[in-house]
Amino acid sequence: MISDSIPRPASAARQLFLARSDFDALIGALRASGRTVIGPTIRDGAIVYDEIESAAMLPAGMGDEQSAGRYRLTDRGDGLLFGYTVGPTSWKRFTFPPQLNIAEARRAGGVAFDQPPVEVPQLAFLGVRACEIAALAVQDRVFLGGQFTDEDFRARRKAALVVAVQCTTYSSTCFCSSMGTGPAVRGGYDILLTEIEDGFVVQVGSPSGAAIVTQLPTRKPTHAETGAAIDSVEAVRAGLGEPLPMAGVDERLKQQLENPHWGVVADRCVECGNCTMACPTCFCTASVERSDMEGRLSVTERVWDSCFDVNFARVAGGDFRGRPRDRYRQWLTHKFSSWMDQFGSFGCVGCGRCIAWCPVAIDVREELEAIAPVVPPVERPVAVEPAAASPGAFSLARLASVKEETVDTTTLTLMDLDPAFLAARPGQFVMVALPGFPTVPISISRIGTTSIELSIRAVGATSTALTSLHPGSRLGLRGPLGTFWPIEDAYGRHAVVVAGGVGLAPLRGLVEALIASRDRFESVTLYYGARTPEDRLFRDDLARWTTIKAIDVAVTVDRAGVDWKGRVGVVTALFDMMTQDCSRVTAYVVGPERMMQASVQSLIAKGVPPDRICVSMERHMECGIGLCGHCQTGRFFVCKDGPVFRLSELGDLYVREGL
Amino acid sequence: MASTEKTARPRVAVAKFASCDGCQLTLLNLEEQLIEIVSRYDIVEFPEATSRHQPGPYDVVFVEGSISAPEHLEQIKALRKQARLLVTIGACATSGGIQALRNWADHDAFRAAVYEHPEWIESLAMTTPVSEHVKVDAELRGCPIDGGQLLEVLTAVLVGRRPQIREEAVCRECKRKGIVCLVVARGEACMGPMTAAGCGALCPSYGRGCYGCFGARTGVNARAWSEAMQAAGRPPEEVWRLFAGFTAYSEPFRPIITELGKAK
Repeated sequence: MISDSIPRPASAARQLFLARSDFDALIGALRASGRTVIGPTIRDGAIVYDEIESAAMLPAGMGDEQSAGRYRLTDRGDGLLFGYTVGPTSWKRFTFPPQLNIAEARRAGGVAFDQPPVEVPQLAFLGVRACEIAALAVQDRVFLGGQFTDEDFRARRKAALVVAVQCTTYSSTCFCSSMGTGPAVRGGYDILLTEIEDGFVVQVGSPSGAAIVTQLPTRKPTHAETGAAIDSVEAVRAGLGEPLPMAGVDERLKQQLENPHWGVVADRCVECGNCTMACPTCFCTASVERSDMEGRLSVTERVWDSCFDVNFARVAGGDFRGRPRDRYRQWLTHKFSSWMDQFGSFGCVGCGRCIAWCPVAIDVREELEAIAPVVPPVERPVAVEPAAASPGAFSLARLASVKEETVDTTTLTLMDLDPAFLAARPGQFVMVALPGFPTVPISISRIGTTSIELSIRAVGATSTALTSLHPGSRLGLRGPLGTFWPIEDAYGRHAVVVAGGVGLAPLRGLVEALIASRDRFESVTLYYGARTPEDRLFRDDLARWTTIKAIDVAVTVDRAGVDWKGRVGVVTALFDMMTQDCSRVTAYVVGPERMMQASVQSLIAKGVPPDRICVSMERHMECGIGLCGHCQTGRFFVCKDGPVFRLSELGDLYVREGL
Repeated sequence: MASTEKTARPRVAVAKFASCDGCQLTLLNLEEQLIEIVSRYDIVEFPEATSRHQPGPYDVVFVEGSISAPEHLEQIKALRKQARLLVTIGACATSGGIQALRNWADHDAFRAAVYEHPEWIESLAMTTPVSEHVKVDAELRGCPIDGGQLLEVLTAVLVGRRPQIREEAVCRECKRKGIVCLVVARGEACMGPMTAAGCGALCPSYGRGCYGCFGARTGVNARAWSEAMQAAGRPPEEVWRLFAGFTAYSEPFRPIITELGKAK
């Protein structure tokens, strides 16, 4: 966000002090200049903008408490005249009236169309906040910034003197600092007031403002007074807290037009259109023809309209935005995305009116977070520097325990490790050395705080030797090595883990990590295929995952006895259960080569984007650090450029035989 | 007036079924425009105004009231055949009216409770809007209807265009008028978000929540409003009462009333 701290004045001489007891002098001077003063006053339980004749009409000592769908006046117990935040009225009511006759057509002999002359009142807006100045500027761009202009707006805008007031308080609905519009007023005013204990620090922003201020009984402020003025606005900035991540939200929304959350918010929305009416920048209107019964005079009345109306996008043949979700999406994407394309700014200034005045308490900030969350950049975080990272070097580890997973697969728990191994990421592997045996790559199946686990299927000499070791044995490790699963890629999406056989080992750490930060994902699913029920790895984990809500687990086996109550068949058959929007799936796939290819094909056929399918490749490796050359595949060394790849990175390397 | 001119004027009839006659009176209440109206329209059938009866066909028939008795079923069909344009007026004709609350009750028990000789009373178990029986060309909502909207229909028919009656919430009229939202600022019960505009936000202008007499907007999300009011702490019984008013039998409200009625 743009930094908007208040520029400290070059000299205090440019600021003046007006005592609160003299505030009537300001209202009097504004009125004496021929202007009607519009400012804050209490009506029907709220602070609204209406005609002000004297300071006695201002909401002295009154504040407000606002949250989604709720506004209440509060008694502040002080004498501040502007100790409230923005209320139900916005200044567009006076620059862009809710109802306006814009044309008259007559039928008398011939046909004549007339535009009524632009006649606007001379107004002074008293108490305009930073977000509201920004809103006036947004409408300036809409109505005056293009080829066609609204001259009624121009005249009203020109005829309004802006007396701005710095915010010295804020509501839970305020988010000006997120939109870069406040809390400090930085320009766009004729007179600027900052309210402090006994009165106002006054700054002049234009000759018209100066003409008023020179008539007032002001004096030079003390250093304490100018300091207090700055501090009060800074306190608001601090109170508003960390700005929301609005940078790039316009582009993010464009990627989310089919997000199912549009339907979720539409289920809550009653389409009253109050957000658009309360919004200080919404500018849509409808034309209503009022004719007399003789058809001689017809007046075109322009009224505030709302894109939430069922007929707003209707043509004779039908409605372009027929569903409530279409209409909500139209509003939100216009405010935060396409407005930027059309007018070079957001259509939102962060005033929070749409939040407070929504009768069903929809908070636009929460909807944006749900629909277009910030996804961290896809560059992979740097892995930990591996231990023993040269050919022939190994770091010793102690075998703490041995657990038989299946008839041929054993999990070794290793302790007394170099800390590098404990900082491994799910998906990484280690090279394991045993004197007298060839070194083998083994994926890490669990990363603990003091131990790691390796799950090893006894298929060759080394793996058979490793699975026969007794606790207390020492073995050599190099690692952790290779790339790891891009978990953050699935933030805000559906995470789908597909494992075949012993392929669950490199995915086990990923599954635990997905469960640990479950809130960041739309859903988490594991599809696991094994040869038989007895060949299932990590049966304790599977049982636990099946009972918790954080993850959906589906298991299938190739063949089974009568005891097996679950599915029988290949793992891809489980994909029939997928109800997720596949364009929003990130998939992680490991298993035997043929199972991975079948899974990948079927995921693509279901619409999962190839750059969202991550696979872990198995290749012959002897060093694990890109020096032995065995695992070279196309432009990659699978050991250091992989083993985890996105399918889009691999391209046709993945399916081509003989590479 | 010359007789030729008379025949050139569109012939208007006003008919009523189960209703209180208040909507018809809205026509008579257009005092300033009455001369103009009768000089442009030939009002040939209007029981509230004249004992003169003239047979159809009619150019415009304004129908008040819900279909509530066995004989109404044939009468409305006969009327439709006589009408070039059939315009239903008021909550009873457009949604069944307050009497449609009986659609959720035991009709026989009601008759027995009210009348000494219930066997003399011929009424239908369900009272229904006119549109469930015949094609309707235009609807004017409200209990009673708004004079301005009635005038707009009369004007539009003469000019030969569609009446400009906006399908929007009462909230929109509140906002344009600058009325502070009673729900948000005072926690009042209000049916404004559900209800078709046209009254000029009459009740909220006087600090009272909308009663919903103009009825549910087409396809309005009644469930969301019911849930929001309950989430704000209103018991189901109170929310039921808000929906079960003048336009209880309008389509979007029906399932809500049925569900909340059971919860009651």
